[in-house]
Amino acid sequence: MTRYVIIGGGIAGTTAAGEIRAREADAQITVVSEEQHPLYSRVLLPHYIKGKIPREKCFLKKDSWYEEQRVEWFRAERVVAIDAVNKHVELLHAGRELPYDKLLITTGGEPHYLERDLRGLCYLQTLEDADHLLQLLGEVRGKPDAHAGVCGGGFIACEFLNIFKHFGLSTTCFHRGPWFWSRVLDEESGGLIAQTLEASQVKTQANTTLADIHGEHGLSEVETSSGLFRADILGIGIGLLRDLRWIQKAGIETAAGVRTNAYLETSVADVYAAGDICEHFDVVTGEHMLVGNYMNAQMQGRTAARNMMGDQEEFRLVSGYATHIFELDVIFVGDTRRALADEILVKGRVPDGYVVQEFKRKGRLVGATLVGGNKDRMELTRRIQAQLP
Amino acid sequence: MPNITVKVDKDLCIGAASCVTIDPATFGLDDGNIAYVMDHAAEPDGRRYERVFDVTDDELQNILLAAQSCPTLAITILDQHGTQLFPEL
Repeated sequence: MTRYVIIGGGIAGTTAAGEIRAREADAQITVVSEEQHPLYSRVLLPHYIKGKIPREKCFLKKDSWYEEQRVEWFRAERVVAIDAVNKHVELLHAGRELPYDKLLITTGGEPHYLERDLRGLCYLQTLEDADHLLQLLGEVRGKPDAHAGVCGGGFIACEFLNIFKHFGLSTTCFHRGPWFWSRVLDEESGGLIAQTLEASQVKTQANTTLADIHGEHGLSEVETSSGLFRADILGIGIGLLRDLRWIQKAGIETAAGVRTNAYLETSVADVYAAGDICEHFDVVTGEHMLVGNYMNAQMQGRTAARNMMGDQEEFRLVSGYATHIFELDVIFVGDTRRALADEILVKGRVPDGYVVQEFKRKGRLVGATLVGGNKDRMELTRRIQAQLP
Repeated sequence: MPNITVKVDKDLCIGAASCVTIDPATFGLDDGNIAYVMDHAAEPDGRRYERVFDVTDDELQNILLAAQSCPTLAITILDQHGTQLFPEL
């Protein structure tokens, strides 16, 4: 009987647990999750906030699933140390050690929190964040001068913009770069987003950082490097932080995430990684990649589980990110790191309403961005998968 | 050979395209970045977001995997008796 310990109860870890149970009836499976809840989809949180679905529809598993699948489930618990020599992990609250034969790390990341907290500040990662934001939105509903702020220029910032627009809140958005996703998008793509924000009366402050927040009992003003604005709510979306220190202490190689090979094996025997924490060697693009989307996490959980059970399956997936800012589609596919591209072709300009970038490395297409449409998405994805120019 | 119904809730779909990546014979993406349903890569009667068609057991497993990969649970699969196979109730 093999003892599998999975650190992290999100989509990667839970998929792995299900995959193992489907194949090994006698396996001992343990999932250690920092969440109180059974698995839910974080991608559904904006739908829940906007009232498209009830709260209970966010859940992908019931409490009873863990028992039915005979998965030992530690909730609201965390692993503080891995002993890779004696093969056990140490739990923070339970005060005990869990021995393992195969270990999977799927701890993801957590939002970059501001040092200061004040009522009115919100993040968007967990169900509690969504509940909190709904409460704040309820408090400002009907207030004639209600105003929201968005700090950040990425995916979470987009969600806040869409939510605030849904609730009819006037909004100011500020971000550090000259335009949204400035490490990925070119000026034309960024210009298209800026134009969309302007058309929807969002006040935008580019090249701007947060200086301070003001208010006695709750947020009243936001001070940025570009000035001061009044706000009741400030949505923070300035990136994900991955806690790697406790993993490094176990001698496991890390860079931006936990480094693995194409089989999702870390540098230490019998320890695997999957999901947002995993920086896997990507066989399609030929570089290590850190990918933070749902599909990647789920499919990596599946592949990692199979390899923990003795398969030798390379992880091979060209996944992407898709969002929208109001009606404007924003899609990233494959490896879109400007710094690692040999050449970037830009097709389209702001007046066209559609801009595509193609990222090439060693003569091959490795990534693409599409802003304002999806016409070329499948063809570009196919070319990346096939390692074509 | 199972006869199944595959439905996409257009209101829930966010165009993540995981279904299209896993099963391009059953799912496509329309111009609005919303997933639609095909019957073995064909679209008899034009664009549809719900279809009833026959599949092999292996094909059903792949369609289920595609549905499971959807982060917003926008895909529903029913068997020939109308019993919901996914999402699990």
